[in-house]
Amino acid sequence: MSAETTEANQFVAMQKRLQTLTRVMTTPAPIAQTPKELVWTLNKAKLYRYIPQVPKEQRHPVPLLLVFALMNRPYILDLRPGASFVEFMVKQGYDVYLLDWGVPGIEDKNLKFDDYTLEYMPRAIRKMKAISGAEEFSLLGWCIGAILTTIYASLRPEDGLRNLILLTAPLDFSLKEQITFARWTDEKYFDIDKLLATFGNMPPEMIDYGARALKPVENYVSNYLRLWDNIDNPQVVESWAAMNTWVTDNIPLAGAVFRQLIVDLYRNNRLMKGELMIRGERVDLGKLRANLLAVIAEGDHITPPCQTEPAVAKIGSADKEIFRVPGGHIGIMAGSGAAKRTWPHLNEWLAQRSK
Amino acid sequence: MSEEQGGKKFDPAEQFRGVREAYMDVWAKAMGEMVNTEAYAQQSGAMLDAYLTVSQPFKAALEKAMVNALQQLSMPTRPDFVSLAERLTNIEMRLDDMDNKLDRIISGIAKPPIPQSSRTAAAKVARTAKKNGRKEAR
Repeated sequence: MSAETTEANQFVAMQKRLQTLTRVMTTPAPIAQTPKELVWTLNKAKLYRYIPQVPKEQRHPVPLLLVFALMNRPYILDLRPGASFVEFMVKQGYDVYLLDWGVPGIEDKNLKFDDYTLEYMPRAIRKMKAISGAEEFSLLGWCIGAILTTIYASLRPEDGLRNLILLTAPLDFSLKEQITFARWTDEKYFDIDKLLATFGNMPPEMIDYGARALKPVENYVSNYLRLWDNIDNPQVVESWAAMNTWVTDNIPLAGAVFRQLIVDLYRNNRLMKGELMIRGERVDLGKLRANLLAVIAEGDHITPPCQTEPAVAKIGSADKEIFRVPGGHIGIMAGSGAAKRTWPHLNEWLAQRSK
Repeated sequence: MSEEQGGKKFDPAEQFRGVREAYMDVWAKAMGEMVNTEAYAQQSGAMLDAYLTVSQPFKAALEKAMVNALQQLSMPTRPDFVSLAERLTNIEMRLDDMDNKLDRIISGIAKPPIPQSSRTAAAKVARTAKKNGRKEAR
């Protein structure tokens, strides 16, 4: 092969790489493709039911409701075909529902944990029960969604909740030196009143910065180098593009709930102390009775394992299990190892308790 | 540029990547430790505070001016829309509760009819109760 041909080939290859890079960086990847129907709405919140893919007689009779965090899009649970937890669970015969909190506007700045757990969740659950015809149900809460589901499950233990799965649940805030967010939001340095007086809601750019700044080199440099190193590998590129679409699709957090998160939980650890009041009711973890599976990500820098383990010990359920998975906050459910480790265990645990 | 080394192609880019990864690991660890210090928390807090101190008065003044201008033009303002949105959410909640009650009523009506034998027995009980009631009234 002549030197000219080699150079021409290299030029074409480089051009192709740059085209891929531009496409990935500028075009949102197709995500959340598992077929679903909208069955309920309230304000910005939406309840979706995924279309069952298994005959009714082979399905688990207990429906499963997925509750994700308030400040991110929930489609991380249904990222892309072949890499979707929702798709996996639907194929395993679960009647899967997803509660999407939507994007809060300035009119929602007064929404608190109280509203989400005692106004929105019970209504969504009521609708799910009416559609499925089941009296009992399972809940899966991830990150802030795990706080919401824990509060709900503690306040309404008689509501038919049979199984509760908590993923990377930030419930205990006592070991502040291990929780970087707790350090950043300490009242000595962080004026939450001033922030919310200016913006009303917590702006998505600040949430995004906070999450990325925990691991600045990995998020701002290594992540892009990994893409460039694998730019000729379509599988890696598509996976990276889907994750990047989710990571960059940020939404604000309602001001009042952000204040509760910082003041009541990060600063004063009121949930663990049994001092958290929701609509005048004290949240007592000892009252939670549902079967409990707590999934801990061993390499989680957002919710370190020390934020979940002590809380599980306080929860009153008779059937409790802690499942530790190597990986990060998001990686344990949406990373390359999720389909091999986390999802099969969740399915196995839930299937035994959904008969 | 590459040359054979024991059957395996020598790739200088691979070596560069190895060095780069090692450097990145060290850098990432150092930065990870740095952001988890009191000094970083203090600095980032001070920066945010400075930004808010400067921007808040401008934002508040702008909002006030906008509200005044819209009111002068007899146009609805942002607070009007916010209050309307809150009222709509309350109405939605009430509608949701009514929808649920209606569902329950409909499912109650749609229940299968009581079998003939039970119906006769129930009618008998009702007739007896009525008779007893009349006697008591006399």
